[in-house]
Amino acid sequence: MLEIKNLKKIYDDGTEALKDVSFDVEEGEFLVVIGLSGSGKSTLLRCINRLIEPTEGKIIWNGRNIPEAEPAELRNIRRQIGMIFQHFNLVKRSSVLTNVLSGRLGYVNPWSSVLHRFPESDRKQAMAALERVGITDQANKRADELSGGQQQRVGIARALMQDPKMILADEPVASLDPVLAHTILGYLEQMNQELGITVICSLHYLDLVQRYATRVIGLRDGNIVYRGTQEDINRMTDEEFKEIYGEEAERVSAGPKAKEGTADG
Amino acid sequence: MAEITREKKPLKSLVPAPAAGIISLIVPGLGQVLGGKVQRGLILLGSFISIIGLLGWRIHTLAHREPDAWAKFVKALDRRPVFILVVLLFIVFLWLWNARDAYKQVKEKKRGNPIVFVIILAAFFTLGLQISQVDIVKMFVELPDAWPPLSRVLWPWEAAITHETDEIGASAEILIGCDNTPPAIPVEVEGEPYIMADPTCGELSTLDENNKVIKGSTITLTGRGFAPDTETLIFWQDSLGNEFRPRQDGKYVSVMTDSKGEFIFDLVMPYRLIPPSARGDQIHQVSARQVTETGVISASDPLKLTIGRMIETIFMGMMATFFGIIFSIPISFLAARNLMSGSWLTMTIYFVTRTILNIVRSIEPLIWALIAVVWVGLGPFAGIIALTLHSVAALGKLYSEAIESIDPGPIEAIQATGANKLQTIMFAVVPQMIPPFVSFSIYRWDINVRMSTVIGLVGGGGIGFLLVQYIRLLDYKAAGIAVWFIAITVAILDYVSSEIRNRFV
Repeated sequence: MLEIKNLKKIYDDGTEALKDVSFDVEEGEFLVVIGLSGSGKSTLLRCINRLIEPTEGKIIWNGRNIPEAEPAELRNIRRQIGMIFQHFNLVKRSSVLTNVLSGRLGYVNPWSSVLHRFPESDRKQAMAALERVGITDQANKRADELSGGQQQRVGIARALMQDPKMILADEPVASLDPVLAHTILGYLEQMNQELGITVICSLHYLDLVQRYATRVIGLRDGNIVYRGTQEDINRMTDEEFKEIYGEEAERVSAGPKAKEGTADG
Repeated sequence: MAEITREKKPLKSLVPAPAAGIISLIVPGLGQVLGGKVQRGLILLGSFISIIGLLGWRIHTLAHREPDAWAKFVKALDRRPVFILVVLLFIVFLWLWNARDAYKQVKEKKRGNPIVFVIILAAFFTLGLQISQVDIVKMFVELPDAWPPLSRVLWPWEAAITHETDEIGASAEILIGCDNTPPAIPVEVEGEPYIMADPTCGELSTLDENNKVIKGSTITLTGRGFAPDTETLIFWQDSLGNEFRPRQDGKYVSVMTDSKGEFIFDLVMPYRLIPPSARGDQIHQVSARQVTETGVISASDPLKLTIGRMIETIFMGMMATFFGIIFSIPISFLAARNLMSGSWLTMTIYFVTRTILNIVRSIEPLIWALIAVVWVGLGPFAGIIALTLHSVAALGKLYSEAIESIDPGPIEAIQATGANKLQTIMFAVVPQMIPPFVSFSIYRWDINVRMSTVIGLVGGGGIGFLLVQYIRLLDYKAAGIAVWFIAITVAILDYVSSEIRNRFV
């Protein structure tokens, strides 16, 4: 469903974030991208929906080359691809419901949406999305009144509103308590399995990668240095892990039992 | 661990210690400079020259008429002996101490003793007392002078109301010269005040060639039907209808009624020049009047004016804020670095906009008001122009900083949903901008109302205009009313604006 061929990104300051990246994504996969900070994970994910303009290469989405898409077509493609961010990227001063509804912006009439008017069906869908992530009671609160874990659930609900075929998740649990990581990734897994949404997710912790990924690619300095299936990951040793992450990497346990952290309300 | 020291190693002395002392005796500070303490020496030298120079200037201003320096000094010493002697003492002390300091500095290589700087400060303080004409004695001796205006400003409310008065009176006609038939005595109506003169004709007082008054005829005035035991004022009206209060022995004529509301007394007819062109009978009129407070209270003119001007002031502030917001929003986009960092052209616009904003902002609204008064004339509009200019500059800067600090995350997230440009602005940018915009705008309104009270002082309309008039008329009670209204308005506004800001942010 998604083919990436010879993708290259050079920033204005000369940084080569992606050197020559090619891989395919099959429908229904839970693809995890691993790699150090600065290895190009975020750039890769943002090139797919062109939040960052790729310098060279092809991104074929259902037969269409995304880098060549006109603005209207690009918006059409973007609305099929949900995105979840490390820092949630909610509009802090808007209500939770408004944040979730903004997931519909690619579908609704632009003029009425500017006045914050959404069809009743969208409002129902938004409440359903909030129910799915278990925070219906927070709908009218301001987004910044919620805890980190709740905010990321709002982010997931917003992505869900797009009726996406694919979700890009950029380090969705990196700024959360490890205990919450399973909750959040659990929702992603649920959407992946129940709704058949393809997920591309960048992650840090090996435990989480082994638990959720159906396939893994490893990035280092803008190149793919590792490709593995679920069986490969489960056999992955610390040495292999260190090869991708470099010497300073540690196997951080993120299991609920290993951490006596504070639970999130 | 090596000790971290910021102190530089002192330079090696070029001269031995006693020599440094002697050199400093000739040129203060030079010994220290040669001794390696360059900064200390230069500060000493600079202070020494400044103190002597300032003393010379003060001596000159104290005795600027004297021809030569010595005469000036003697005159100045005569006028302000303590000041001049104290400063001279400081100079001599500083001079000697500086020599000793140079010697010690070179000899002991220690950190400088701060006493010499204390002396310098004390000398400057003494000079400052004289230059700025500080007069502590006067401040305490004449403290009672501050009380009359202060008390009136602090409690001006007696002037805020006026008691309505009721006037009753009666009049009788008098013929000047008794050649023709004198007018009849008025008819008495029961229950109304009544006055009669006896006789009803007579001669007015006149002036001789030495301007001495020659008394005219005496008439007996009898009054009835007035309020009892009340002061009754006597008025005189000439044949042209001009009225005045006659005086007897330098005092205005008035009489107290008895317990029945009656009076009787003799009045010497006052002096009044009858124009030579006057023809016919000269009929004058004498009247007696009583003024009583009826107990009905109404707002005084200063109170009414103050309220009117206060409303004008609040609206001046509001209009200036309104115009300021309208103009500063587009300007703030040009002054936001994150929006303008695209190319060298936009960066140039950014720098030019920022520079203009900074210049306009650094000029006080009072100065803008002076210019605007020349431009559009006295009145609130001039004040609005002055405040608007300042508001545009201040808000432009604050808004642009708000734009610079918006979080790009939500923009990215909204774009990723397939939203178009307009939707992205409305959903990701505007919600982030509204709180700071509202907050800054309200704050600005607050500032503008406060400033518009000051703007009036230079003719920019509003309550300041009224306040400065009352102060110049020495009407401290009316000024006090204006001051109170300003204080109350500012306090209310302060509270309201902080409440609104708390709601939005």
